[in-house]
Amino acid sequence: MYALKTIFDQRLKFIMTTCGMALCIMLMLFLLSVYRGVYVGSLGYVTSCNADLWILQRNATNILRTTSFIRTDQRELLQSIPGISSVSPVLIINGTVRFKDRSGTVYLTGFNPANGNGGPPKIAEGNMLTANDQIILDQSFAAKYNIHINDRIRIKDDSLTVVGLSSGTNMFVIQYAFITLAKAHSLLGFANIISAYLVKVREGESKQAIISRIYAAVPDINVFDRTTFIKNNIKEMESGILPLLYMIAIIGAIVLTAILSLILSINVLERRKDFAIMKALGSPKGFLPGLIIEQSMILIFSGLAVGIIFFFPLIRVLEKISPEVSAVSSSTQVLTVCLGAVIISLISSIGPIRKLNRIYPLEAFGKE
Amino acid sequence: MNDGTNIAELKGVTKFYDTRIKGNAALNDVSFLAKAGEMVLILGPSGSGKSTFLTILAGLQSPTEGEAYLFDRNIREYSSHELQQLRASRIGFIFQTFHLMDSLSAMDNVLLVMGFAGVHGKAARDRALKYFENFGIQHLGDVLPRSMSQGEKQRVAVARALVNGAELIIADEPTGSLATQQGMSIVRLLHDSVRKENRCVIIASHDERISAYADRVLYLHDGILRISPGNNGDGPG
Repeated sequence: MYALKTIFDQRLKFIMTTCGMALCIMLMLFLLSVYRGVYVGSLGYVTSCNADLWILQRNATNILRTTSFIRTDQRELLQSIPGISSVSPVLIINGTVRFKDRSGTVYLTGFNPANGNGGPPKIAEGNMLTANDQIILDQSFAAKYNIHINDRIRIKDDSLTVVGLSSGTNMFVIQYAFITLAKAHSLLGFANIISAYLVKVREGESKQAIISRIYAAVPDINVFDRTTFIKNNIKEMESGILPLLYMIAIIGAIVLTAILSLILSINVLERRKDFAIMKALGSPKGFLPGLIIEQSMILIFSGLAVGIIFFFPLIRVLEKISPEVSAVSSSTQVLTVCLGAVIISLISSIGPIRKLNRIYPLEAFGKE
Repeated sequence: MNDGTNIAELKGVTKFYDTRIKGNAALNDVSFLAKAGEMVLILGPSGSGKSTFLTILAGLQSPTEGEAYLFDRNIREYSSHELQQLRASRIGFIFQTFHLMDSLSAMDNVLLVMGFAGVHGKAARDRALKYFENFGIQHLGDVLPRSMSQGEKQRVAVARALVNGAELIIADEPTGSLATQQGMSIVRLLHDSVRKENRCVIIASHDERISAYADRVLYLHDGILRISPGNNGDGPG
């Protein structure tokens, strides 16, 4: 009662505090969402490929930040290994897409559209490739450069028609684009290399046995089962800028803790006389610390409520302004931030509660 | 009126705030006994040691020398939890500047203190309302202190001090911020609580008009307690 009424007694201060907290909460939610967005965008391609095994050049462990070149003539060799059902080649190269007077770099992925393996995880708009002069762009890349279906873009001297827009292919710093393997070879200038083979194993066959057979038959390669390969890519992704996002989120949490602690401390000082009086009047031992925690909780939950309410529209606006910023929100994230906020509110209460101990009931006596 | 029950007692109490300066005692060898059913007025100018006297009586601080007793038990024997419970339920305080919580209504100010004594809910509200009616402030229940007159604030403060059935009421300059008429009406309320409810009221003030209602008047000057001239009290010691 006292905690609530004291806070609402100073409405402007309450509103300002709530806004400050809401901004910190929004910052934390935003960073976690971006983290999730990059995570989903970076792994979306790898996880969607229909492959039991990934074969890359020796020493290459992932497709995110590794160069891998394998000879195309090894496909027949692989296909002849007992237990292998299919072998799909993909060629991934960096390419510059030009549209009107603008240009942007994409992760150009050549695959065989006939079986679709190695292609876009999901076509959000438009169709699958049917010809070599077609391209599927990541939808956030297309939004950023204002490219639409049926627009013609240029890569090197080639003109390609945008036939589809994919989702789950935005890695934040770069986006995937999909062309036919033949076009990728043509753009690269070499027709006898690819980046990786996606291997399907026949049902009932031991993957480990197949891996051993591949190593025995094909030199200078690395073979990974699906789980290991996904783990490799996660590891590579997490060694990039992502930890920085966590660091900034943690800094946001520290700032939030400091703001809240400061506000509560100021409140204790402003209400010093009230606390002295309550002590003189016989407030039970845990009552006054409880008031501080209650105030802290009221402020943090107000900030949480405002932060969460405004976060989702803000994300939509940000995605309009900067489409490559892919923020993926989830209820788990919101719950994590809520839990973090409760912990922050408890930590923020420690300093002000210590200040309480230095308020004496004797201060209630004598003139003000 | 006085039923002989000892409420608060000081025996040879001396209080130094800075023990390095021995000549500057806030209280100097003060002995005093207050019993149920009496109103005692401690008269003294500012800085005479009145607040120190009251706070030692209330168990809010210990004497440097001598002994202080509350309800026939040495205050040093009380745990801090017991002292807190005493202040919540057996001792009522009235301060010079009322000290109502600005953000709470009159009713909430009273209910807050009832909560300290473990009285909550409807029982608390009903009892508080009874006091509000007796003091003619029933219309102030939802009013914030900032919208009340000085006299109204002091009536709420008196209600707050009495509502838990405190046996000892300690009033620090209760008329100090009030006009004559209002001040005396507050003293009458306290006087009534002594007569009708057998409480012990100890008032520290420099307002000599209160002496008309007091059973005993004592003078505190430079930390020394003396019997006021012409008073029939038994005085210190």
